[in-house]
Amino acid sequence: MKTSLNFIAYLIYLPIVIVLTWYVAHILFKNSKTFMEDIFHGKTDIAHSTNKLFETGFYLLNLGFALVIMEVTSEIYGNRDMLEILSTKIGGFSIYLGIMLFFNLYLFFRGRRISKQKARMTEIQYPSLGK
Amino acid sequence: MNTLSFIIYLLITWFITVHVGLIFYRNGKIYIQNLLHGDEKFTLFINRLLLVGYYLLNLGYVTMTIRFGKPLYSWAEVITSICTRTGKIMCILAVIHFCNMAALLLISHYHQQHATNKN
Repeated sequence: MKTSLNFIAYLIYLPIVIVLTWYVAHILFKNSKTFMEDIFHGKTDIAHSTNKLFETGFYLLNLGFALVIMEVTSEIYGNRDMLEILSTKIGGFSIYLGIMLFFNLYLFFRGRRISKQKARMTEIQYPSLGK
Repeated sequence: MNTLSFIIYLLITWFITVHVGLIFYRNGKIYIQNLLHGDEKFTLFINRLLLVGYYLLNLGYVTMTIRFGKPLYSWAEVITSICTRTGKIMCILAVIHFCNMAALLLISHYHQQHATNKN
């Protein structure tokens, strides 16, 4: 009887997924600091803490999702099977991650637009405050 | 093998819960303080209350989920069960976290509207 390759598949899947999530979160939240400072009108401490909170939530959600979909229910017996299953899983997870990334970007842009609108409104209502 | 998987699972989830809780605790403080217009004592109180509630909820749930599960016979099964459960816990944590942030946002909107109405 051949031994199944499920265990090896997991050992390949886990590091790839973790590194991928870490990389995407790192890039996204390194660059989102500017957005946050725009949204909160340069209040650095609250901008940074909001950024950190979002980052933690992003990690939790995506790593959690990656771990939930990890299970391969069928037995894997050959290298080809393993490659196919792994590529489907990792590809699907990458697409999901991409969608999350763009959703996050949309949120940042929306927040910035709203905060700019608000600033303009207060300037119209109380012109002395804007200066 | 079952006992070992329980121990690993508990260690991982305990680490994640405590770590994430501390991050929330540190970063949420400024947030709540902003919401309460700088009332230091009340902020600390609410923040600590939130932390304790969070720990109780999550560690309780983690310990509860240990019961549900099939007996494990191979390393592949061990890794599957640990990862799936940890993943579920992390998803739940994320959902709770985003609900919390949405609640804070709503409260701050409410405060702002109140303030503008007064003016």
